[in-house]
Amino acid sequence: MKLCSAGASLGTIISFSGVFMSIIELKDINFSYGPSEERVIKSLSLSIERGECILLEGPNGSGKSTLFRILNGLSLPDSGTYYFDSRLIDKKYLKSERDAKVFHKEIGYLFQNPDIMLFCASVYDEIGFGPRQMGLDDVEVDKRVRDLLKTFDIEKLADKAPYHLSGGQKKKIAFAAVMALNPKAYILDEPFAGLDRESCEMIGRLIKNLKLMGKTIIIASHDESDIGELADRRLNIVELMQD
Amino acid sequence: MIPDWMKEDDNYVSPKDGGTFVIKTIKSLAHLMARIKVQKGHEKKRSMPVLLKLILTLLAILTIAISKESLSLMAIGAVLLLYLATWPGEDIASCLKGAVIAALFTALVMTPAMLMNPAGIRNNLSLVLRVFLSVTCLNIFNHTSQWNHISLAMRKLHIPRIFIFTLDMTLKYIVLLGNLIEDLLTSMSLRMVGKNTKKYGSLGGVMGVTFVRGNELNQMMYEAMQCRGFTGDYNQF
Repeated sequence: MKLCSAGASLGTIISFSGVFMSIIELKDINFSYGPSEERVIKSLSLSIERGECILLEGPNGSGKSTLFRILNGLSLPDSGTYYFDSRLIDKKYLKSERDAKVFHKEIGYLFQNPDIMLFCASVYDEIGFGPRQMGLDDVEVDKRVRDLLKTFDIEKLADKAPYHLSGGQKKKIAFAAVMALNPKAYILDEPFAGLDRESCEMIGRLIKNLKLMGKTIIIASHDESDIGELADRRLNIVELMQD
Repeated sequence: MIPDWMKEDDNYVSPKDGGTFVIKTIKSLAHLMARIKVQKGHEKKRSMPVLLKLILTLLAILTIAISKESLSLMAIGAVLLLYLATWPGEDIASCLKGAVIAALFTALVMTPAMLMNPAGIRNNLSLVLRVFLSVTCLNIFNHTSQWNHISLAMRKLHIPRIFIFTLDMTLKYIVLLGNLIEDLLTSMSLRMVGKNTKKYGSLGGVMGVTFVRGNELNQMMYEAMQCRGFTGDYNQF
């Protein structure tokens, strides 16, 4: 197991005694896509503190997206343990509909391809989908949507169909839709891909502000220049695996 | 820049929804896609060329169709079941499932005829058996052969290229659009954190996006073909 800071090591030690310092704690995770398939994740251990911003690096096919799927509970590891906010995320936990929904509300996932995140008739409905699911009243849903439209400077797009917009605009809408749930942790898969320089700077400022507010952020990006000083730690997924 | 409501964590408790339709749909779609893409089966273990398998399957179906003796049908059935007995249980079940459904459907369609003409029950039951055996043959072939190998085998049998091309394209689009639907439902499930009162509306959105995407892919592929010299004629090479 490779832990990247003394704090992380302490977090791991304390976590085994029942008190959790970290928001995300992965211990000796192994994963393959089938019994006869090669392991994609091998003995991966990782500890992420609350409010940390992590830049996850690694070549194509190294398992970054698979790790993100595990972190979001979309795939379950073959072996190893995953704790999120001191809760063991396993098959039993995710089988409980209520627990799974609370977990998904607390961890927001921005997919690399925004196309697969947009299915509503208008941008307004797309951003409002999550808050409506949470059972917020119409006034609160409207406030959240309007605030996020303003934050991402896409107010003019509110009534447009998301599917016919440009790649950069779709990315912003998808990010806004994730933020509308107000999650504790953000998993951002290539958040700068397909964005122009101005939009990259805007998303960079946004991530910085999220970090200042104490949100935990994990970013996968190939372009380090976009992340700049945002990341507290840079982790290479290949180095995180023991085998 | 950041809205005020984001500065504090929501004290959120999810209401009970009672519907896990999205998760179930994702699982069944993923299973179907995995079968089409990987075609998990016995091809690695069985060394018989796909061309030979295709010819044998066609011959078997022809024999089943023209056979007059129920004894010969039962003999073919026994051979097929013996062959299937060497497979793992899960594969046997998935192979026989379609055949049983097809046979039951045939039996259902034949029921009025059997009730109105009890003397012809034997022939009607023979038809049900023929359907069961034919679908089992096809399932065995499908289960033990990869799509690309089937296309190659069909080319060797001089089946018209336009037919093979259409089949290949259909399979390609089933996989592409199936993956898109699976991804859309997965991202939807991540944001379905409470009670969804508009389940069918959400599913309608997924269907609409898939239709638009299918249309776009179709247009893009046609333009790409034009760029590579396609003039509307499928030539034999």
